[in-house]
Amino acid sequence: MAMLQGNCPACGAPVSFKSGSSIVVVCEYCHSIVARTDRALEDLGKVAEVVETNSPLEVGLRGTYRGVPFELTGRAQLGHQAGGVWDEWYASFQNGWLGWLAEAQGRFYMTFQQPLPDPKAVPPFSRLQLGQPAYGVPSQVPLIVAETGRARALGAKGEIPYRLTPGETNFYADLSGAGGVFGTLDYGQFPPLFFLGQEVTLAELGITAGGKERAREERRVAAAHLNCPQCGGGLQLRAPDSAERVTCPNCSSLLDVNQGQLKYLKTLKRGEFEPLIPIGSLGVFEGGQQLMVIGFVARSVEIEGTRYFWSEYLLYHPQIGFRWLVHSDNHWNFVETVPPGEVMEFEKSAQFRGKTFKIFQDAEARVEYVAGEFYWKVEVEEKVRAVDYVNAPLMLSKEVSSTYIRTGGTREKPELVWTGEINWSLGTYVPVKEVEKSFGVSNLPRPSNVAPNQPFLHKAVYKYWLILLPVLILLGILMTLFGGTGQRVTTNDYEFPPLPNADGTQVVFSEQFELRGMRNIEVTVRSAALDNSWLYMEGDLINDDTGLVQSFPIEVEYYQGVEDGESWTEGSKEDDRTLSSLPAGKYTMRLEAQWEKWQQPMPVTVTIEQGTTRGVNFILALIALSIIPIFVLIWHAIFESRRWSESMFGSSSSSSSGSDSDSSWDSD
Amino acid sequence: MFRKLYLVFGIGVILFYGTAALLGWEFGTPGRQQLPPDARQQGYRSFHFWHYGFRGGK
Repeated sequence: MAMLQGNCPACGAPVSFKSGSSIVVVCEYCHSIVARTDRALEDLGKVAEVVETNSPLEVGLRGTYRGVPFELTGRAQLGHQAGGVWDEWYASFQNGWLGWLAEAQGRFYMTFQQPLPDPKAVPPFSRLQLGQPAYGVPSQVPLIVAETGRARALGAKGEIPYRLTPGETNFYADLSGAGGVFGTLDYGQFPPLFFLGQEVTLAELGITAGGKERAREERRVAAAHLNCPQCGGGLQLRAPDSAERVTCPNCSSLLDVNQGQLKYLKTLKRGEFEPLIPIGSLGVFEGGQQLMVIGFVARSVEIEGTRYFWSEYLLYHPQIGFRWLVHSDNHWNFVETVPPGEVMEFEKSAQFRGKTFKIFQDAEARVEYVAGEFYWKVEVEEKVRAVDYVNAPLMLSKEVSSTYIRTGGTREKPELVWTGEINWSLGTYVPVKEVEKSFGVSNLPRPSNVAPNQPFLHKAVYKYWLILLPVLILLGILMTLFGGTGQRVTTNDYEFPPLPNADGTQVVFSEQFELRGMRNIEVTVRSAALDNSWLYMEGDLINDDTGLVQSFPIEVEYYQGVEDGESWTEGSKEDDRTLSSLPAGKYTMRLEAQWEKWQQPMPVTVTIEQGTTRGVNFILALIALSIIPIFVLIWHAIFESRRWSESMFGSSSSSSSGSDSDSSWDSD
Repeated sequence: MFRKLYLVFGIGVILFYGTAALLGWEFGTPGRQQLPPDARQQGYRSFHFWHYGFRGGK
């Protein structure tokens, strides 16, 4: 890599351009921006020293992206219009590539400038629409406009590949696409410059945090203790590198944080909203990471004239950044942000990572109270449009904040431009017990209603039913196939003589016959002579070897006639009775009969079969197997009805299949 | 817990059905009795035995 060396025009200190593509370098001694021109080095003015943030990156750090080694040769620090700063690191690749490694809220994006195929197709900044496709930019993945805003160049270090002017402001638009694709339109000129790349992790770049991490830790601890400018009481900044707002725990003053300096803004009404989990508490979440509660926000929405409140706890860990724990109606959700480009939004649904979420609520959320510290300039009464989509146990939430910023004009006739941001977050339902376990607390209030993304805990019953049912059906088929249609044991014709009186009976004993074990026994009685009368028999199968007696009743009745010219029949001339198997052996059957037309003899045919296939047992097994799933299904329907009764979009959107997606939430 | 209980119950139902089918067991079969040894020796075909002895006065 060719190196250009010279002296700072401001202070004379040596400066060097390691990368041939660098346009300016920041003098390490006087912080002047030194630009190289065709003739000589030029002083563009002094730039502020970069504010030390929690970044694990530093100028001079080396890494690899897609197999190509690079070195971070410069750093530009930009200020957001809503407060806060972010860093953009200039990555000088060995093969001549020029990359920008942007860093914001613990996420990293490697981008490269791309030519615009048709610059006229790119809309001017004022026509960009949040959440709408970004037109005219070359990308294999569709990109949406995730954020529009104005950035101010605050500080720089090392070498920068453009003429950075201290204090200069530029409009920009951040674009987001599926698969972590990220783009930026830099409206410092028109047509804008376009940068395209993707979200990366430090591990993917081969960058590991080492000594710098320890140094930051020491600095963080050192900078953490401050005094409230309003009451003089001590307060602690737990994420001092990111904090933009903090409240005083002593006097409830809302304070602005600016590079470690606190400025009084207003005094908040105390006691109306108290966090259930105190600020400073440590909770163990996802993969054993310990996150600290550093902020508390109470928010509300108004729906049909009623205001509903909930609270959000800002969690922080230096390595993983910020997360949220949302507490609403005594239900809890663990929330993390997701790239806007990963979400596809439709009229009443949204898709994220292959899952479809149904719209649940669309309302304007208002900040009611804050306590602790925050990474943005939070204000009480701050409003955002909040849309929730659910697919239990997940909730996908969109928050759209927008504001006009003045770009010029007069006080009476200001020139305004609309800017804003879309934030998507993914909440995962956390049972109260798990929150208690995470924070080591007890007696958190229990919910009494169904949360929008509360999972129904017994869905696995359906899965088991769908597994067990085919097994039962298969077994039934096998039993039918291999059990056969039954084997005849004996058939006998008997003619009972007339009864002595109406209450009398006649008895016959059969010839001895042999029954096989482990096969059911079907006794069929048929009387062709039966007509408009009944026949009742009591049978006994008697084991001639053991004396075992199996009794059974059989009643046959048959009626027929003609009424209004139409013939009718009722009953049958035949009936049967199936009995459980008896031990194998020789048996005699005793039949004692009684019939309605007792004065007449009664001819009957009695057949005994074994191993007949019957559906009753199968039906009973089917009922037994299905009764619990049916009960669960009803329970589930009631559960879903209660869930969607809380929705602005009513029960028409509800369905059990669409509301619960993950059986891993089933109770255990 | 509930799903595991159902799984155990469901497996039990299938095993019971399979076993019942294999053993020739039928739901609703009346209970069985045992003839007294003397009746077996002396013969059990008499009206008196069935109506006054074995079934106790039916």
